[in-house]
Amino acid sequence: MTTVVVHTWARDPGNALVRPDGTVEWRSTKLVPGEDDPAAVSVALGIASARDDELVAVTFGDADPSWALARGAARSVVVADASVDEDEAGVAALVAATVRSVDGVDVVVIGDSESHPGVAGTVAGLLGWPVVLGASTARWGDDGLEVARRVAEGVQTLAVAVPAVVAVRADQAESRAPGMKEQLAARKRPVQRVSVADLEVPATVAATLDSTRLPATQGARLFDGSPQEAARALVGALRSEGAVR
Amino acid sequence: MSAWVVLTRPEGAAAAVRAAAAGGAVTVLAVGPRELADAVASAGADEVLWLEPQPGFAIESCAPQVADLVAADSPQLVVGGVEPQVRALLGAVAARLGAAVLSEVSTVRADGMSFVLERAGLGGAVVQGVRTVGPVVALLAADEDEPVDGTAVGVRAAEAGATAPVRVVRTQAAATADGLGTALTVVSVGRGLRSRDDLAMVEQLAAALDAQIGCSMPVADDLGWVPKDHYVGRSGQQIGPRLYLALGISGAPQHLEGIRRAKVVVAVNSDPAAPIFRRADYGVVGDLYEVVPALLDALGH
Repeated sequence: MTTVVVHTWARDPGNALVRPDGTVEWRSTKLVPGEDDPAAVSVALGIASARDDELVAVTFGDADPSWALARGAARSVVVADASVDEDEAGVAALVAATVRSVDGVDVVVIGDSESHPGVAGTVAGLLGWPVVLGASTARWGDDGLEVARRVAEGVQTLAVAVPAVVAVRADQAESRAPGMKEQLAARKRPVQRVSVADLEVPATVAATLDSTRLPATQGARLFDGSPQEAARALVGALRSEGAVR
Repeated sequence: MSAWVVLTRPEGAAAAVRAAAAGGAVTVLAVGPRELADAVASAGADEVLWLEPQPGFAIESCAPQVADLVAADSPQLVVGGVEPQVRALLGAVAARLGAAVLSEVSTVRADGMSFVLERAGLGGAVVQGVRTVGPVVALLAADEDEPVDGTAVGVRAAEAGATAPVRVVRTQAAATADGLGTALTVVSVGRGLRSRDDLAMVEQLAAALDAQIGCSMPVADDLGWVPKDHYVGRSGQQIGPRLYLALGISGAPQHLEGIRRAKVVVAVNSDPAAPIFRRADYGVVGDLYEVVPALLDALGH
């Protein structure tokens, strides 16, 4: 069987310039790894290596496939002409169709992105597979995968039978980026480039951007002046609404 | 026209029903214990359905049945929150309906045959108006506690249906920092702090405010200056104090998720463009090494 990790499927919001009228200009639309992607690759690698199968990385558009290959994926599938935007159902449909195009997949690991929280669950829905979101770790147990995640009550461990989708949240920043040796090895690993036309992407309802504007409240009420003046004004405001005595 | 709300906890029920009302008569589907369904019966919906996982199974195991129940009514609008359990259910619904999926939604308005949903884009830097023609699943931005005081409707139990193989193995109580989860005031510190020794200044302010100490992830994880069970964020403590004072914290999304329920947020940061100022109610643009002593003076300490 095959484990798939999905990575680099969104633009970097840091490349968006918000103009004074609230419209947005993208200085670059290049796809970048999400903050949960390193953790997703790490979890996926553990799942794949525990049963000695290959980890296949899936990514889109102008994403760099060597990013996951340098982190241990055996090969990469890139949907080269895929256009990925803010439409979460559209992204999910693309991911699900790509997973279906890979032989023998029974585990999909994807970052549980805070910016796109609807994607992972919809991928599972489109595949018709069970899903655990907000996962911290996953390993093989007696009844499939044992997935741990934080919930309000503590740390919950779930057993999910495969095929399944596991959406991973990063508990911490990546501790070690790949070195030169891993990056050179990544360049020798196979990259398969496919087209959207090669996939059977399920249709979803289109969501079109009608307008953008700045939020009505532009964030905090700021206190100016010297630190002493600002502190006195701040404490006064907090006292007036009962937040401090 | 009809709309559904899918809930796995009572917080935010009334807001979800209000948003869903743009889609017509609202059915709330409460997935969890009977107490959940009873708690949301007066949230303003026209009908409340209750579905409970089989013993030993997780909420996510109900996804196929939730999709069946919702799809049978062919609603044009389905609303829910963002906690992992409910997103698993809504994903199944979205796939079954072939719906658009939008997150960080604040309002929903019907406009002829379409919906216009306002959502926070780019981490709250802009408000986007997004139009959909056809079914849409909306993940709401906020799930604040609010009084639920409508007329209670009867709760109807849904019949058992398809189950996904997701079981609960165990739940281990989290190691929580003493008092942080229930503190009325939390003073939290980030990378703006230059050394571990400078924590004394922050502790002095916390003592003056009768507050607990929190921190951003790097301060606990990378620097180890504060115990790890004190870090506030998506993968750390998720707290709801009456006052949250963020010192030298930039406001990464990871951190902001931990203070979604905080009532009043104050930010002190030397970078006027720091995202924390978009979440904060009050702010001081300045060096925390100057502002904290000034705050102590202003508080009379």
